Amino acid sequence: MTIRWTIRIALFLILGTVWIQACKKSNGGSNGPTPISFQIPAGFPAPQYAFTSNPLTAEGFELGRKLFYDGRLSKDGNFPCASCHQQFAAFATYDHNLSHGFDNQFTLRNAPPLFNVVWQKQTHWDGGINNLEVQPLAPLTAPNEMAEDINNVISKLNQDATYKQLFKAAYGDETINSQRMLLALTQFVGSLVSADSKYDRVKKGTASFTPQEQLGYTLFQAKCTSCHTEPLFTDNSFRNTGLAVDPTINDKGRMRITNNRADSLKFKVPSLRNVAVTFPYGHDGRFISINQALEHYNSGVQVSATVDPLVKNGIPLSANDKVYLQLFLRTLTDSVFIKDPRFGPPE
Amino acid sequence: MLTKIMILAILLAGVISCQKELKFDPVDEPDHNIVLRFKPVVQFDSVEMKFDTVTYKNFFKEAFTVKAFKFYIHGIEFINTDSNKTYPIGNEKYFLVDFADSNSIKLKLTVLPYKYNRIAFTLGVDSALNVSGAQTDALDPAKGMFWTWNTGYIMAKLEGTSPVSTAPSKMFEYHIGGFKQAESVIKRVTLLFPFGENVDMKSGKTTEINVTADAYDWFNSPHDIKISANAAVMTPGVLAQQIAENYSKMFTVVEIIND
Repeated sequence: MTIRWTIRIALFLILGTVWIQACKKSNGGSNGPTPISFQIPAGFPAPQYAFTSNPLTAEGFELGRKLFYDGRLSKDGNFPCASCHQQFAAFATYDHNLSHGFDNQFTLRNAPPLFNVVWQKQTHWDGGINNLEVQPLAPLTAPNEMAEDINNVISKLNQDATYKQLFKAAYGDETINSQRMLLALTQFVGSLVSADSKYDRVKKGTASFTPQEQLGYTLFQAKCTSCHTEPLFTDNSFRNTGLAVDPTINDKGRMRITNNRADSLKFKVPSLRNVAVTFPYGHDGRFISINQALEHYNSGVQVSATVDPLVKNGIPLSANDKVYLQLFLRTLTDSVFIKDPRFGPPE
Repeated sequence: MLTKIMILAILLAGVISCQKELKFDPVDEPDHNIVLRFKPVVQFDSVEMKFDTVTYKNFFKEAFTVKAFKFYIHGIEFINTDSNKTYPIGNEKYFLVDFADSNSIKLKLTVLPYKYNRIAFTLGVDSALNVSGAQTDALDPAKGMFWTWNTGYIMAKLEGTSPVSTAPSKMFEYHIGGFKQAESVIKRVTLLFPFGENVDMKSGKTTEINVTADAYDWFNSPHDIKISANAAVMTPGVLAQQIAENYSKMFTVVEIIND
């Protein structure tokens, strides 16, 4: 009886193993890339970009990180992604209203900070990019940014034995193509998650606001949350906040993408996380301080056909309101994120 | 005993269902070979278009030379309209037909042996692939058929020069794209075989199909597109849609060599 049962169990196990093996995807080697799981911070919604067709791995992330900091992605070698996206500025450009690139040229707009980008449905101030993976192509090929050609970049990477090894580690063989490069960059940029500010710790119950910060938070919830919605501090919509058009730049914002007049002068609502370190502000960096930006809502809104109903009549803010709001906004600075060595330049 | 057999059967079924290579349907083998060849022409199907060196005149008597002529196709099907039989070929692959690259103008495919009298394909890149992120092969953005600041594919491109152009260096550039519903330039093209004849494609044999694409058709019918008025079309919109409507009529099956 025992023998019969042993045979039965053995048979079951053998066939079971065969079954599992048959269903396993062949990985072409025992030591493939190491998977990383993407952690969604508590209270955050499901991301728009979920790494479904681009599974996060330690090797993919490291490759993306090297690419992000590599000047060879630009025409003259001087403009890596990191030149406009500096970690200490939450991956925005410190102290520059318009970002600048190849041949001393300016771009149209202020470089947006890079964090929590997987929660954006479209990227850029005008939402022109419909999938995070293809975003790097825009700065890479823009003549006033990195000014490169995709084929050129691929051939430069191909001349580097280290890259061949890194691509092999991430993707199983040495093939370097635009798809792999873009997927790796997306792994790095998509991993830039900022959710560890004082505000977050207050929400978790491990810290508490000062009375002034609390006053600012109450004001914020009364006057700002419709557009700068928690916990991302943006609703990712496009709005005309009543900024007068700069006659030189003449930037029509979202309308450039949709060709729809109703989108004239609309720009993406930026997140206010890390706002204290990402100055200047506005799509063209016209405000050099948070105070100036707040004063715009208090007294500077220009009414035009597409101005947002929420700001049409301004947002009255007293001098005290502005002080308390700024104290609250400073609690959104994620000092862990802007110093995290995982996101810094590789050695 | 019965349970043992059941367990065995279930496990074996599991093993078999996971072997993707197994074929259960030995009858319908797509083993008739197709060589689908595209040829650029100007105005008449017999006049081959040459790059740069030859000057042509469009419907409005505007002189022009051609520097680049390319387009995406996918979803190729052979059809017999008498029996309503349709057979897809090319495995939903995308092909970039670039007349400056001789490797890209000849597509080798296989089809289920049958009598067909039409070929159909989609001209352009489906909206799903315009929003699916980084692609490779024919859809690699390195092919230069991708807009980077307002992301989406350029589905067809005609570039050249014309003395009536108002653009720098007298160039004209028609980069036609747009996948969102209101501005879509995606076209389904169906072409009759010469004289609408049924072509009997037999197992193991080869059929060569020569299709011309006429650059002349970009400029008129149904919409008048003058180089003097529009030297550059580089964004989705009404003009792009008009040009796409024009060029979607540029194909003719001129010759079928059935082995």
